[in-house]
Order: sequence, then structure tokens, then C-alpha cells
Amino acid sequence: MAREKKYREAVNWKKELRLFPGYLILLIWISFTFVLLGWVLLASFSTTKEIFSNKLLASGLHFENYVKAWINSDVAGIFRNSLVYSIIACSLLIVICAPAAYVLSRFIFPGNKLIQTGFVSAMGVPVVMIVLPLFGIVANLGILNHVLSNGMLLIFLYIGINIPYTTIFLMTFFGNLSRAFEEAAAIDGCPPTKTFWLIMLPMAQPGIITVTIFNFINIWNEYFISLIFANSDQLRPIAVGLYSMINSMKYTGDWAGMFAAVVIVFLPTFILYIFLSEKIIAGVTGGGVKG
Amino acid sequence: MKRNKGMIIAFLAPAVSIFAIVFLYPIIRTIIMSFFKIDGITDPVSKWQFTGLANFIKLANTSLFRTSMWNLFRIWLIGGVIVMSLALLFAVIITSGIRLKSFFRAVIYLPNIVSAVALATMWLQYVYSPKFGLLKTVFSKLGLTALSKVQWLDNDHKFMALLLAYCFGMVGYHMLIFASGIERISSDYFEAATLDGADKLNQFRYITMPLLKGVFRTNITMWSVTSVGFFVWSQLFSTVTADTQTITPMVYMYMQIFGAGNSVTERNSGLGAAIGVLLSVCVVAIFWLCNHLLRDDDLEF
Repeated sequence: MAREKKYREAVNWKKELRLFPGYLILLIWISFTFVLLGWVLLASFSTTKEIFSNKLLASGLHFENYVKAWINSDVAGIFRNSLVYSIIACSLLIVICAPAAYVLSRFIFPGNKLIQTGFVSAMGVPVVMIVLPLFGIVANLGILNHVLSNGMLLIFLYIGINIPYTTIFLMTFFGNLSRAFEEAAAIDGCPPTKTFWLIMLPMAQPGIITVTIFNFINIWNEYFISLIFANSDQLRPIAVGLYSMINSMKYTGDWAGMFAAVVIVFLPTFILYIFLSEKIIAGVTGGGVKG
Repeated sequence: MKRNKGMIIAFLAPAVSIFAIVFLYPIIRTIIMSFFKIDGITDPVSKWQFTGLANFIKLANTSLFRTSMWNLFRIWLIGGVIVMSLALLFAVIITSGIRLKSFFRAVIYLPNIVSAVALATMWLQYVYSPKFGLLKTVFSKLGLTALSKVQWLDNDHKFMALLLAYCFGMVGYHMLIFASGIERISSDYFEAATLDGADKLNQFRYITMPLLKGVFRTNITMWSVTSVGFFVWSQLFSTVTADTQTITPMVYMYMQIFGAGNSVTERNSGLGAAIGVLLSVCVVAIFWLCNHLLRDDDLEF
């Protein structure tokens, strides 16, 4: 027993040695990533003076940077906006796309291929191709003049631009489910619509979770659409808000506060990633290609 | 199937109608708009003046727009070579049987989930900072005084700085695509090659590379699609509105149509639409080229 173990280890060491250059390259790359994120994190707890003299945390942890960023610079506001937009848009995306994906993957009907091709092509369309007419319509309807309608418009657009990706992603999941479930339900007299909501949708749960994580990250980080369509400061989502905040903090010279704001912005997706990185990585390559 | 007709329509209607409003109608209208002179973006069709290809000709004669296309091309080509090489290298290492594979993979992909604004700020305000920057600190520790004094964000270096920072964030995604492609290749090929005496390098050259053609195609297409929408990074790296070092077509379009920048001489939404059409043509052309140059139909595996 003991001899066998020793033997295995010896082989491993030889293998590890052969792989050493690979380890070295990866270590250099990820140390850089850690230094980058780690330094910003430490800087967000230091004073601006310490940042400039390269003595991070010399006077202990300064949580007041976060308090200042959260309240004075109103990171709280843009954070809340993005949270509301992402949660509503992600939920509606599932309600809208899951039925469509189910029908597209299960039934043969005229136009099925056409819709699929349309959705796939839309993932490669540059945003510049859609913003001008949309802005024209929206401005003519006066939607941008009211906070409520403008906010709803933003959510509508977040949903719209993510529909092709979400639908195509979910299609592969429904495609993999066995037809036996629907047949059994049909024999028991369950109408197809009910079968979908009560049986098929819950079974596609892994796919729904993965696609929702992607949608959340996409909407949380969305910049261009929000920049153009969020007409008032109180509607700004996090990415746009952070941009203007950084610009103003450069003038006030509050570097510590700026790094605190940066940390607050990347924290939600980062925390999601820590817990769900395996699922996210499997989703990138497994279910369709991300646009 | 007839029985399900109602269900099919009801299930598809919301997704397809939103798709029509957000994608189909705007795309068609943008293509039409690119052939007209349109003073205001909200103008009704009756006020549009048909000018044929005038918008495209005007763009071709605008030096700032030409610069922006040149910048985009450099980002696509230089950035593409850097990102694809690093991504392929990492993918090969990751799939070579190392320990902590999923940890390495997760950390390399990490920058992709961070908001571009936050990531760009970290690079701008920390890595490239002339006062307390990472590059400055590292280079002066190594005694490379000349390198530590480089102003990474001045006009001579800004483009390279932007490109490096952008590439850093993109490598992870393309690495995942490569790695999943490599993992799909059956290990039988490598075993057979090892028995025949082929070394690792030759195995990579004659087995991995040819079988990855399809994966290369996916990666190049995705890289092109993301590059065309290059906007946030460029906006963050230029403090002035019309910075010729980092301007891209999207930024130019934004300035033309929505910006209150000083460089706007005339408002013409048709020009903005023409930029969109040009970029789409580029994407389609690259897609077509990839499909023809990187055919893998003759390979079965």
C-alpha cells in the first residue's frame, strides 16, 4: 500500500516538473490579476495621502471612504437603480424567453428556422445599428421627459437586447429534455400550456439559473444604451454613474473615495462569481455562444 | 400540430414582437437612413433628403473618422493577435493536466465579469498612474529608471496602454472557448502520435491546430463582434472629447449624434446611420472570410 503511494507520487513529481513552465506563466498572469484587484481593495481603505506616498493602510482601515462614496457621492442611488433594473429585466427575460425557446426547440412550424436565424444574427449586430431609430421613436413619444416612463424604457431595452441570447441559450436546454415527460402529461390529460409551466420549465432550472447569471452580469455592466437613454441623473445605472463620479472625483482629488466606488461597483458581480464561477464557466462554452 | 397552434403563437408573440421593435425595425430603418440627410434625429421621414452615397463619401473624406477606423483596425488586428496568442497559450497549459485547473481558469476569466468602467479605472488610475502606478513602482524597483519615468497616458503611449488594458480583460473569454475546443479532441490522437514518436510541439502543430479550425473561427468572429462595439474603454481613456489617439467609430458616432462636443460641425443622423452600416458590413465581411478561409468540412473528428 505504502509503496504504491510512493510510486504514484514519484510519477507526479516528474509530471509537475515537466509542467513547470506552464505553472510559471499562469502564476505570473494571475499574480498580476491579484495585485491589481488587491491593491485597489487596499487603496479603497486608505487615505488619499497614503495612496500617493505608496504606504497603503499606514493609518489603519478607513471605512469612511465607503461611507462617503455611498452617501455623499450617491453610489447608493446608482446601485439601487442597477439592482432594480437587473432584477426586473432578468425575471421578465425568463418569462418572455423560456416559452419562446421551448416552442422553438419542440415544434416544427413555418418560420421556426427563420426566427432562430434572426436571433442568432442579432447577436452579431453592432449596437450602433439600433440606437438611432430607437432614440427617434422614444424622443418623439416624449418618453424621456418622465422619470417613470424613462426608467421603464431602460428596462424594456435591457430586455430587448438580451432576448436573442437568452432564447438561443435556453433552446439548447429544452432540446435536451426528454419528450417522455410531455407524453406522460398528455396521457394524463394535462394541456400543453400547463405542461410547460408546471413540468418543463422547472426541469430547465439549471439553464435558467445560468442564463440569468449572464443576463445579470450583462445588464449590471451595460454602458452604451444607458448612456444614451437614461435622461436624468436619478435614473443612471451603475456603470454610467461610476463614470461621471470618477470624472468628478479626479477634480476633487478624492482618490480613496474613487477606489471605494470602484470596489462597490464590481463587488456584486465579483461575489456572484466567487460562488458560481464553475457554473458561469460551463455556461460560456456549454450552452450556446455569448454575444 | 394544429392543436398546438394557439400555444405556439402565444408563446412566441412576446419575444418575437420585442425582437421586432428592438432589432428588426431599427436595423431596416438605419440602413435606409444611411442614404439620407437627416437634420434632426426626431425628424419625420417627409423631412429626409435623399442623398445617395453622400454620407459614405463624406465619412471617407473626414479625417477624424478615418483615424477612428484606423484605430479600430489596429485594435482588431494587434489586439486580436495578442489576445488569441495568449488565450491559446493559456488554454493549452490549462488542458495539459495541471493541478488547480479550475482555480487558474476561474481567475483568468475573472476580468470578464468586472464592469468595464471599473476595470478601465483600475488600469488608468493605478497601473498607469505616473505618481503611484504599478508599472512605475515595478520598473523603479528593478532599477529601470528610464522605463519607470514613461508617461503611459501621454499621446505617444496612450494607444498601446489602452490596447494592453483591453486585451487583459478579453483573454479569459477566448481562452475558455479554446480550452473547450481542445478538450473535445479525443486523446486517442495524442496517444497514437506519442507512440509514433511525435513530440509535444509537433503534436500541437499537426493535431491540435488543424482540429481547432472551427474554434478559431468562433473566436475570431466573437472578437470582431466585440471589437466593433469598442466604446467604453475609448471614452475612459480620452479626457478630451476628440482624442485622435483613442477615438473609435462608435465614439465618433456618439459625438456626432448625441455629444455636445466642440468638434461637431453639422448634425446629420444619416452620417451616424452610415457608420452603423459600415461597421455591420465589416462584421459580415469578416464572418464570410472566416467561413471561407477556415473551412473544416473535410475534417471529421
